[in-house]
Amino acid sequence: MKPPPFEYHAPESLDEAVALLAAHGDECRPLAGGQSLVPLLNFRLARPAHLVDLNWADGFPGIEAGPSGLSIGAMVRQRRAERSPEVQAGCPLLVDALSLIGHPAIRNRGTVGGSIAHADPAAELPAVALALDAELVARGPQGERTVGAGDFFVGHYSTALQPDECLVRVDLPPWPPGAGWSIQETARRHGDFAIAAAAAVVELDGAGTVARARVALAGVADRPVRATAAEEVLAGAVAGPEAIGAAAEQAAVGIDPPSDLHGSAAYRRHVVQVLVRRALESAAHRAEVPA
Amino acid sequence: MAQATGAARQVGASVRRAEDPRILTGAGRYVDDIVLPGMLHAAFLRSTYAHARITGVDASAARALPGVVAVYTGDEVRSMTQPIVPGTAVGMHLMPGLKTPTFFALATDKVRFVGDPVALVVAESRYVAEDAIDLIDVEYDPLPPVVDAQQALEGSSAPVFDELGDNVIARYPIAFGDTDAAFAEADRVVGATLAVHRHQMVPMEGRGAIASYDPGPGTLTYYASTQSPHILKLLLGPQLQLAPEQVRVLAGDVGGAFGLKTTVGREDVMLAAASKAVGRPVKWIEDRSEHLSSSGQAREETLDIEAAVTDDGRLLGIRGRLTMDHGAYPGDPFPASAFAGAIVSMMPGPTRLRGLSCDITVVTTNKCSYLAYRGPWATETFVRERLIDIIARELGLDPVAVRLANYIEKGEPARMISGQSLVGVTARESLERAMELMDYEGFRRRQRQAAGEGRYLGLGMATYIEAAPGPRSDDQRASQLMGVEKARISVDDRGHVTIVTRQQPHGQGHETTLAQVAADEMGVPFEHVTVLYGDTDITPFAIVGTGGSRSATLAGGVVLHGARALKKKVLDVAAELLEASPADLTIVDGMVSVVGTPTRGLPLGEVARIAAHEPERLPAELRGDLEVEQDYDGGAGGWSGGTHSCIVEVDAETGQVRIDRYVVVEDCGAMINPAIVEGQVRGGVAQGIGAVLLERSAYDDDGQYVSATFMDYLLPTAMEIPSIEIHHVDTVPLDPDVNFRGVGEGGMIVTPAAVVNAIDDALAPLGATIREQHLPPSRILELIGTIA
Amino acid sequence: MSEPTMRVRFSVNGAAREVTVEARKTLADVIREDLGLTGTHVGCEHGVCGACTVLVDGDPVRSCLMLGVQAGGSDIVTVEGVAGDGVMHPVQQAFWDSHSFQCGFCTPGFVITAYALLRDKPELTEADVRAELSGNLCRCTGYQSIVNGVLAAAERLQDAGKE
Repeated sequence: MKPPPFEYHAPESLDEAVALLAAHGDECRPLAGGQSLVPLLNFRLARPAHLVDLNWADGFPGIEAGPSGLSIGAMVRQRRAERSPEVQAGCPLLVDALSLIGHPAIRNRGTVGGSIAHADPAAELPAVALALDAELVARGPQGERTVGAGDFFVGHYSTALQPDECLVRVDLPPWPPGAGWSIQETARRHGDFAIAAAAAVVELDGAGTVARARVALAGVADRPVRATAAEEVLAGAVAGPEAIGAAAEQAAVGIDPPSDLHGSAAYRRHVVQVLVRRALESAAHRAEVPA
Repeated sequence: MAQATGAARQVGASVRRAEDPRILTGAGRYVDDIVLPGMLHAAFLRSTYAHARITGVDASAARALPGVVAVYTGDEVRSMTQPIVPGTAVGMHLMPGLKTPTFFALATDKVRFVGDPVALVVAESRYVAEDAIDLIDVEYDPLPPVVDAQQALEGSSAPVFDELGDNVIARYPIAFGDTDAAFAEADRVVGATLAVHRHQMVPMEGRGAIASYDPGPGTLTYYASTQSPHILKLLLGPQLQLAPEQVRVLAGDVGGAFGLKTTVGREDVMLAAASKAVGRPVKWIEDRSEHLSSSGQAREETLDIEAAVTDDGRLLGIRGRLTMDHGAYPGDPFPASAFAGAIVSMMPGPTRLRGLSCDITVVTTNKCSYLAYRGPWATETFVRERLIDIIARELGLDPVAVRLANYIEKGEPARMISGQSLVGVTARESLERAMELMDYEGFRRRQRQAAGEGRYLGLGMATYIEAAPGPRSDDQRASQLMGVEKARISVDDRGHVTIVTRQQPHGQGHETTLAQVAADEMGVPFEHVTVLYGDTDITPFAIVGTGGSRSATLAGGVVLHGARALKKKVLDVAAELLEASPADLTIVDGMVSVVGTPTRGLPLGEVARIAAHEPERLPAELRGDLEVEQDYDGGAGGWSGGTHSCIVEVDAETGQVRIDRYVVVEDCGAMINPAIVEGQVRGGVAQGIGAVLLERSAYDDDGQYVSATFMDYLLPTAMEIPSIEIHHVDTVPLDPDVNFRGVGEGGMIVTPAAVVNAIDDALAPLGATIREQHLPPSRILELIGTIA
Repeated sequence: MSEPTMRVRFSVNGAAREVTVEARKTLADVIREDLGLTGTHVGCEHGVCGACTVLVDGDPVRSCLMLGVQAGGSDIVTVEGVAGDGVMHPVQQAFWDSHSFQCGFCTPGFVITAYALLRDKPELTEADVRAELSGNLCRCTGYQSIVNGVLAAAERLQDAGKE
């Protein structure tokens, strides 16, 4: 299990990196944290002729919190994001999701952008990005463009990124005051990929009913999924067992989950309802009624 | 002989391990740490088909790759090696009812499982070797794969070995006692089909070796990660047409084995042949992907049984059929077909079963070889203990009460119907103690209360006995296989004691335990005892080095008796030199002195020096090196055993299982080093928990191996294994001197039954009946009926 | 075939080192072969087992998931660098006292992980320890002795801190 030969590039700037991606296109893979790509290289499942190592490149932003929300540079290590006071204050759901990724040694190298660009359908960060309506900022030879999370994840390990584009930043909208959140997953062991996961953010209005609920699912399709039918059930409803139960049921409608060694499609379809219910209960419990 | 007094006793204390300073500081020497001058690296091309004819192999591009020294395929293997007839070295091929195929170290005309080695590349680095693998072109003509026992038993299934005609590789009946009488007397017959799934040993260090053939003297030095250096020597020599004296096998630190490394792999044979062909050392270290798909798997068997039972829960007789899925290639020299017989023979356990009759069928399939895994007969405990719970439920009786109705009493002069004496078995006592520790009645109250809250708690228990080494009968003592243990013990002129053992530790701490025994017997400090192993040039011959839970008794015993014999020699010499009687002498802290007159003494080293280098001072019969070669047949031997019990909670919505409490009550005789014993027990328990909740060696309908990474073959972590409480029952000493018994396999043998019984108990209100051993969340929801 | 090689300089266990390696060679293999430090073990090559864990700039990482060339300019600590001047670190001493290990193959990864853990979180409950160690696999021990070792090390380090 040794990597196949490749030509290694260590660009010193983001622009140089983009130029390399543009030059080599499909023959080229960018290397961020390496926690997903290097195993693929070791298994020889990925055989890029060129490897562009982003770890030396200046020009990736860090973590910035402001009135327009929280922005996290693509190369920010997951462990740094997890411990960052700005992220803890500005996106508690992301902190919880990060703590579910692998183990600390993985998060010491893995990056926020890398996990999102890798787009494993069972990964936590893509689902959270979708739940929060994040905006993904990519840079290509023509400059930067922004893609909404809803359009970013297009299929099995596929995103809207072109081969000559590099993810630069993840922009999260400001955290709604008083919003409750929860991420619930079932995995075979602590730190494993989710068999299925549900991330929920619930905002209550002055009457204590649901002003807005956002629910995203991982592991139940070839990409993260917004459980819009579930969200509609909750809008304007009292966040109690009846509405939450109905929302959870709706979450399983219209999904076509995979079957694998860890769970059958029927298992995923059943358990995602349990997870949605638990996520909504927890998020609703945490949510504060605005004064 | 005067006893050693004054010095603290080592035996019975959790002495810190002699192995640890090097292990903790990164100074261990595992086979991949060894670098030899001129060493090359090997990689195997492995089949991606489960079953196919090889119609062509083109290695020309691989051979032309710079950095590649040689590529060997099925075309070359016939001239480089001898055909392998597995089991021949130990006479296993003569087992009645067994067929034995012949094959080579590489696939020649066909491939028989995904992972079957097809070619060997020798290159300057593993990286280049893998590049060359990518360039080898193999043409396969696929054949219908045989992926389970049911298919294998169909007459139309393509035979995995054409020469055997069909896929039944062994068929033999086993019967003990009077099964007909048992069934005639029964009040009812309880039937069940119990299945154990395929899972595997997975030591953290995979297989690996360096074959170093030196063309000058024509010798092979083989550095291996092995449990049995001598078996490699025994089998590799003839493969290369070398005399035994021309082969030396060395094993240093071995990173775990659990039975996997008792055989000689086809890769070992090919590696040795390749080294001979290139005339340079060649290293092969299997990667995890190869390890999971191709090293060895185990436990895949199904028992269809009928139990003759009385209405008060006594088990009188069992009859049934055992079907074992053997995979393709039999292990050499231990084909798995023999393990099936062991499963049946051990099935009576500590009960008063009167009759047992089982038809065994072992089938070949297109899967990795079934090899020994920690207690290869372990399925007997799973079947017996699951069956007892099934009987209890059917009769509406308490499972503890049913066990107590069946297990023998301590001291009851009982024999298993398969012949072994049950002397010293404390099964019943261990069960009673376990239930006391669990507060059984208290648990049942908690369980009812939890049920009212919609929570599912369960308590399971299972009792086992393990032949560690088992009560010794005369033909066992005589048998080479698990018979007489040998060791050499000597003292040098520093007063240091050296033990040369044929054990090959791979985590058992023999450098510590054997030194503890010798230190006590010889009266020397623990730090002055060195244990040598892992070199076939100096160690006594053994078919199995370390395996079979015998080292505590056999190796501990041979060291005890050997040290006593050596001490006698020492005192005879010292008596001459001190002009005293040997009976008046003692050795304390390495000083030989007259009891009561410590100033009249000699350091042990001085005694040894004089005996070796100033022999003229001694009568002829006392001259020479102070050294003893000792044999030990195990003395009275004895059983280890015990009861494991656990409490689980099942989340009926997700199917996840949490183990809330795990209690072990065990009897392993006297303990040389309690911390080492407890470590062995806990490690075995962890493997048993892993088997039930996480681990499965899964193949799909095309025979593709699906569990080939650590994300798919799931080992338990510190989060999945609870704290394991270990308690001991008073053991029955059987031997005047050696009452240490083995514990290596026990944990793994009994744990799956305890855990499955607990889950079954938890799910009883939901109507689930469990007849299998692998219970991931998905399966639990199927058993409850939540999903189809 | 030699692929083009690169020169990489870093500090390993406090000493300046330089190697010349192919870019595709993993840091684990560079440490073991080019630096001759065989204490770090290779257990899976896909980041799950933790046997290859080393510190890079103070952080525990899977050396099987880094390329050697990525470590240029870094400070690397391997298990050989945990003891100082021939004296075992309190973590190693505590593991020895606690009979934490058996075959030893997983041990270097646990030593590095525990060393870094106790440096960052000197006070830990048993549950904390189990969670923090869950990224290192051991097949021999069932983990309890390792957990005990880490808790014992925490005590030792706290006592040492008070002196």
